[in-house]
Amino acid sequence: MATVNGYQGNTTVAAPPTGTAAKQPVNTVKTVDTQSVLKRLQSELMALMMSGDSGISAFPEEDNIFCWKGTIHGSKDTVFEGTEYKLSLSFPNDYPFKPPKVKFETGCFHPNVDVYGNICLDILQDKWSSAYDVRTILLSIQSLLGEPNISSPLNSQAAQLWCNQEEYRKMVEKLYKPPSA
Amino acid sequence: MEESTSPDCKLGILETLDGEAIQEIIESYNGFCATAKSLLNGAGDLSVGTEFVSYVHSLCNHGLQSLVRDHFLRALEETFEKVGVLKFWQHFDAYSKGSCQEKNKPLNYDDEVHQVLCKALEEICSEKQYQEKCLFMLVHAIQSYKEYPLEGKHVSDSERVHLFAKYQLMVSSVLMASLPPHFPEMLYWYFKGRLEELSIIMDGELEDKNESQDKDDMDLDEKGKQRIGEMDIDESYNNGKFSEKSKLVKQIGKVVRDLRSLGFTSMTENAYASAIFSLLKSKVHNLAGDDYRSSVLESIKAWIQVVPLQFLNALLAYLGEAVSYESPTTGLKSPLASRPSSCYPGIDTPSEGLIRWQLRLEYFAYETLQDLRIAKLFEIIVDYPESSPAIEDLKQCLEYTGQHSKLVESFISALKYRLLTAGASTNDILHQYVSTIKALRTIDPTGVFLETVGEPIRDYLRGRKDTIKCIVTMLTDGTGGNPNGSGSTGDSLLEELNRDEENQENIGVDDDFNIDDKQAWINAARWEPDPVEADPLKGSRNRRKVDILGMMVGIIGSKDQLVNEYRVMLAEKLLNKSDYEIDSEIRTLELLKIHFGESSMQRCEIMLNDLIDSKRTNANIKATIAKQSQAGSDLRENEISLDILDSTIISSNFWPPMQDEALIVPGPVDQLLSDYAKRFNEIKTPRKLLWKKNLGTVKLELQFDDRTVQFAVAPIHAAIIMQFQDQTSWTSKSLAAAIGVPVDVMNRRINFWISKGILAESGGTDSNDHLYTLVEGLVDSSKNGGNSGSCEELLLGDEEGERSVASVEDQIRNEMTVYEKFILGMLTNFGSMALDRIHNTLKMFCVADPPYDKSLQQLQSFLSGLVSEEKLELRDGMYFLKK
Repeated sequence: MATVNGYQGNTTVAAPPTGTAAKQPVNTVKTVDTQSVLKRLQSELMALMMSGDSGISAFPEEDNIFCWKGTIHGSKDTVFEGTEYKLSLSFPNDYPFKPPKVKFETGCFHPNVDVYGNICLDILQDKWSSAYDVRTILLSIQSLLGEPNISSPLNSQAAQLWCNQEEYRKMVEKLYKPPSA
Repeated sequence: MEESTSPDCKLGILETLDGEAIQEIIESYNGFCATAKSLLNGAGDLSVGTEFVSYVHSLCNHGLQSLVRDHFLRALEETFEKVGVLKFWQHFDAYSKGSCQEKNKPLNYDDEVHQVLCKALEEICSEKQYQEKCLFMLVHAIQSYKEYPLEGKHVSDSERVHLFAKYQLMVSSVLMASLPPHFPEMLYWYFKGRLEELSIIMDGELEDKNESQDKDDMDLDEKGKQRIGEMDIDESYNNGKFSEKSKLVKQIGKVVRDLRSLGFTSMTENAYASAIFSLLKSKVHNLAGDDYRSSVLESIKAWIQVVPLQFLNALLAYLGEAVSYESPTTGLKSPLASRPSSCYPGIDTPSEGLIRWQLRLEYFAYETLQDLRIAKLFEIIVDYPESSPAIEDLKQCLEYTGQHSKLVESFISALKYRLLTAGASTNDILHQYVSTIKALRTIDPTGVFLETVGEPIRDYLRGRKDTIKCIVTMLTDGTGGNPNGSGSTGDSLLEELNRDEENQENIGVDDDFNIDDKQAWINAARWEPDPVEADPLKGSRNRRKVDILGMMVGIIGSKDQLVNEYRVMLAEKLLNKSDYEIDSEIRTLELLKIHFGESSMQRCEIMLNDLIDSKRTNANIKATIAKQSQAGSDLRENEISLDILDSTIISSNFWPPMQDEALIVPGPVDQLLSDYAKRFNEIKTPRKLLWKKNLGTVKLELQFDDRTVQFAVAPIHAAIIMQFQDQTSWTSKSLAAAIGVPVDVMNRRINFWISKGILAESGGTDSNDHLYTLVEGLVDSSKNGGNSGSCEELLLGDEEGERSVASVEDQIRNEMTVYEKFILGMLTNFGSMALDRIHNTLKMFCVADPPYDKSLQQLQSFLSGLVSEEKLELRDGMYFLKK
């Protein structure tokens, strides 16, 4: 996810809990030991597992808790209804002070997702806050599917088509390849 | 004829013989033959002896000595075969066929055999003796001839030895050749009968002696006299019996000697050896029997000394093999002489043969007893503390025979067959296990065999759900602390705990005495460094005593589980207490702390401390409130005094999860509770008191017009009945709403009052909505009898075994739902996973509060549960989400 556009519009984001309170002390700490990152990721995993949100899920890969696989189902009443997208999340060593790198593994016909699966989402770039977690990221991406930011598209074809939801739906169905397990 | 009978004759000599010489030879030979014949058939008539001698001389003159010898031996053989042997076997013909059936009635058989055998032996022996006499005559004749030319006596001696050896060989081979197959068996029965006879005599004697010894032992002052006393007694008391016995022994000795002289030496030995062994076996069986409360080894040994060894000694002596014939008083054989034999130096030198016999017999006795005990080991262990003498016996036997593996095999199969079945209750199995540990620890202090034997029990117990619970109950129940408790005897683990503690006080006193050098060596070889957490002050010896508990914990796998179960049980117990008396719990906890370490019992300790604190805080709150109310003294009408409220304040983080059930307590009580909580908050700022309103005990009194009834009930019952104070009838729906519980719960709980006859149930308009009415009058007076006026009923605890604390199973179920979410989560993202990958992933990532600690098998069974719930699918060893 090397080249991502600089600016993103204010995409609707699932409300980050207690955003401002956590922000200030965080920036002062620069070096974080891996142990606390591990702990944070573990507790995020536990919270995610216990939350029971439908349509989003993620889990660390076999032996590396810094690499997760995610799954998002297209929300109901959107053109993405009934689709399932695989994601990869890769956490930096100084997480949560830096955002994780998130990519679509399944091809997704979406204005803010390019052919390589890169996502254009503000909270994954400059709007990142350590108060976000895997769950909020996944929820944000899920809502991004239904409410793209047309003004700065990565996929201009999709952006143009967006206004015609019926056609768009056909396009999604045509291009959608269900992820093989 | 000459040639044929004596092929080794020098034929050259024959040719040099002249007619006269031949004539003389023929005459002499004929004479020799005739006299020999008459001699042999003469039945005691030795008149032809001189004639015989002269014929022999003359034949010898012609160098025909070998002819003479061969012919005579042949004649002897023919006669012996014809006369002796035939007759001899004829005696036994009657038994040839019937011997098998007659095993059933050995008594008659014995007597008959005895008589027949004696008679037959006598006959054949006299025959043999006569023949020997004849043979001797021949020897004499040859000898006397030889004495002319050669003066050396040794030559003739060798002649005699040679001839008799040949004769002996002839006799035994003739007999052996015609031996009927049932003869050895007859010999066996004969010796058995004789031995039994002897044993009876000896038993009587032994009793007499014991009596006399008891008598002698009474006057302890005259120790020196004791021996003299015994001697006297032996002479005076047992003269009659002694002669009887020696007669019997002599008789047997004669039979044995006769049999030996007929060449049956080994057969005879076999016969009496097997007779002795079978007698010993039956004796052991008799003595040991099914009574495990006394040690039998010593008496068996004593019996060996008295009966079979005595017999053998006498026999050997009679046969001239023993070094010296020992009188029963001084010999090794008498139990009276079992005191240090160094008292009688020089006398006690039993022959090597006898010692060998003794060792053989003792080994056999050990083995027999051991087999007997091993076969019954299960029963022995069932009544273990009482049966410890039998265990002690078995231990000695095994030390001697070393056949521990036999014990292990047989005991394990007995366990599998009799204990480890679905019908046995877990408690029984555990008790048997404890007894097994105790018993086998005696037999084998190293614990190696115990380990093997315990394995199947442990495996089995691990499969039972209530094992932990039973163990914890065994640990905590018992008399420890309060002597009026009704603990089961002997096998309570609590007692084991207590005992360990006592042992710590008088450290190793008994141990040092019990340890012999060999054991010390074993101990030294098995030494292991103490675990790090062991207290160096206590030493490693105590650790060995922990054994039983250690093995109990070994069943469960980890002490954590046990501690957890104990915690739940302790919580239940503490919450049910209405006073703050926890002395016995404190004591148990202290004991457990010794075994499981301070840290693992920390939560339990906090729980106990909570109770102690509660007592103090409770008193404190009441005191301050009392002061205030005196000052204020504006008590409202409806207010209840705080005095009636006692609280148990728990630090919920350290207690097991509580059953939580919503309950609306009646207003005044609620007021009281919140007042109490307020006071608590004032005293213990910033801490706040959160009531678990559904837990606890309410003592209440119901006043009717004609009676008062007292109850101690759960809060929900109290809440229910209190609603009837103002309104005498409620529908179930409205009542449930009033007390804030679901209708079904309320319907269940209200049964308590209905069963007590306080409330009555009637079907309302709606079939689901029952109507409950307070029973004012005493409807069930007939049930309660006359004393219903002030019937007092105290009912602690509850009907349907409800618990205040979430059980361990509930906790496990909760844990499992966490794992379920994880499993579903990973399968959503990875599609399909194999069992061990799920296992590893859980191990790696599920590290939060209940860390994943299940085994692969547990996980598998959990997963198959999910499969059957149609949450998962299993295809080709991979798990999928069911879509």
